[in-house]
Amino acid sequence: MFFKRFIIKKFWIVVAATIVGALAGGLAGSGTEAPASKNITIKARQYAYDPPKIIANKGDTLLLELASLDVVHGFYLEGYDVDAEIHPGINTFKIRKPSEGYNWETADVITVILTRRGKFRYRCSHTCGTMHPFMQGELIVKPNTPYHAGLGGIAGFAIGLFMMMGISSKELKVVTAGK
Amino acid sequence: MRIQIKSKKPDSDEQVLTNIWKKQEPRIDLLKKFPILDKFVKSRYFQNLLILPSLIVFYMILIAGFFGTPVGNKNIAIVFTWILWWFLLIAILVPFASRIWCAMCPLPFFGELAQRLTFFRVREGKTGPLKNKMFGLNRKWPRFLKNIWVQNISFLALCTFSAVLVTRPFVTAMVLGSMIILGILFALVYRLRVFCSYICPVSGFLSLYSMTSTLEVRSRSTDECKKCKSKSCITGNEKGYGCPWFIYMGKHERNNYCGLCMECVKSCPNDNIALNLRPFASETKIKSFDEAWKGFIMLGLAMAYSIILLGTNGQIKDWANALETGMWTGFLKYSGILWSSSLLLLPAVFLGFSFLSKLISGNKEVSVKEVFLNYSYVIVPLGLLSWIAFSLPLIFVNGSYIISVISDPMGWGWDLFGTAGFHWQPLLPEYLVYIQIILLTTGLYFAMTRAKTISERLFNTRKQAIRSLIPISLFSLIVCFAFLRFFVG
Repeated sequence: MFFKRFIIKKFWIVVAATIVGALAGGLAGSGTEAPASKNITIKARQYAYDPPKIIANKGDTLLLELASLDVVHGFYLEGYDVDAEIHPGINTFKIRKPSEGYNWETADVITVILTRRGKFRYRCSHTCGTMHPFMQGELIVKPNTPYHAGLGGIAGFAIGLFMMMGISSKELKVVTAGK
Repeated sequence: MRIQIKSKKPDSDEQVLTNIWKKQEPRIDLLKKFPILDKFVKSRYFQNLLILPSLIVFYMILIAGFFGTPVGNKNIAIVFTWILWWFLLIAILVPFASRIWCAMCPLPFFGELAQRLTFFRVREGKTGPLKNKMFGLNRKWPRFLKNIWVQNISFLALCTFSAVLVTRPFVTAMVLGSMIILGILFALVYRLRVFCSYICPVSGFLSLYSMTSTLEVRSRSTDECKKCKSKSCITGNEKGYGCPWFIYMGKHERNNYCGLCMECVKSCPNDNIALNLRPFASETKIKSFDEAWKGFIMLGLAMAYSIILLGTNGQIKDWANALETGMWTGFLKYSGILWSSSLLLLPAVFLGFSFLSKLISGNKEVSVKEVFLNYSYVIVPLGLLSWIAFSLPLIFVNGSYIISVISDPMGWGWDLFGTAGFHWQPLLPEYLVYIQIILLTTGLYFAMTRAKTISERLFNTRKQAIRSLIPISLFSLIVCFAFLRFFVG
């Protein structure tokens, strides 16, 4: 029944257009650059990070130093298993891998090798004040394939859907004509 | 089953399509399918049983808000209201159960109790056109205010202070407490649920987005309603109160202003009321500009919050959080941008696309106003799905606060269930973007397919209908791209 509807309603056009769009988008944004090493100092304050956005390439190595300008902040980097606690006025910070529980260690730099593409947020993981849940920054690892594939996929979906609606609209008209 | 008869005639663009689009979507009458549900909603205990749990939680929220810790993520007032409740409301209750929240909402409870002066019983008597005895002045709500403009403005005003509202337990408790008091006052002066229908800021967006819901209360046969002399659904009788939302079931065709209290199911003498399960986004009629503007406000706010709350710009957060930072000039700028983009910019852009739509269609009879109003429905599914996509991180990233706050609701160092020390732990945050992409695509699907339904209602020929869809689909696509940029780009 579903398969029949799928064919009759021409929904396969939408699926095909979405896949083509997603692939085209993903490929279009897939330019790569030689891996590099970058030293970045991230300063945390209520309720933002400086820099608010880090843009790097897949394969890059980030050497992150963390500092707090006011109160105790956290630094939880999505997708890279990093959580840190930053105290103001101290050059070192506590760090742990969330996947390994609460084994805090002291460090003065975090080394992150960028193996995954996309957008990853770093969030404050230590309650730092009223707006704490909204304190976050962004690490964008290029090529941002999910974004480009998403753009292409959605565009393809819209085009396919439009084509499908045009066709099905014509079919419905035939029914009216018969009446 | 529909029989398809192929015409030998060549397709003509002048062919009128109107009737075919009126085909009825399938419905399942839940009250007939599940007699136990029928019995339950006909019981006088139904609504109170729904309200009771939310009333208990509401009291906890008020107490915690006034007396608990001022740290939002350690106080049940913030965590339960703005993480748990909000997510349940926007992502589950509204899309799948329409305005069922209005049936269980604790805010109008005391007002309604003051009018009825009884928890369960139906008081027979006469109050104006009602066949129920009601306490209070029972005045009519002014005609010029019988729209949702007050709700639009009050919601936008409340949202302007959202950075404060959703982070300060005391402010949350104050606002909720004030709404209870307002609910009582309005119930004592005006008829029935005037507060819910025309004042409550939450009610406005519930009314709009409930159009998409898979649940509806409708009469089984409108012919039966026409024959009915008592019109008990709106006047009430010994079995049930007259509709608190002023709805006559014989003409009830949209979810917008039905609070699912089920009084009509109880009062209907012909057992003619159904609780239907239906396809998502079945209703496509925006009837007035106040409803259209509600859609723009909601869409504008979803965009604004994606930048302010989920974004990285510290300065905008400081502006929105002026109560703490003291940046009142910045707050004025932020408010100005928020209000003008929601009330002027977005509608103006949509007007531009509506104008293009009319132009491209080649139809000279349909006005731009009609095109604008009818097509403004596309921002309903688009807005709702964008809001769900926006709300996902709230529950997935900050949901772990719920576990800790259950053991320590006031933030006083209690550990009632041994979970107070549960550390903040986001749930698969790096995969949220994929769910958000799917949600946005779903929103686009419903926006475009429903736009097609509207186009066929609006225009005479297939060619005009399809042509007119191009700018509206483009608008929907641009909105989708904008949210994709916020979430993934």
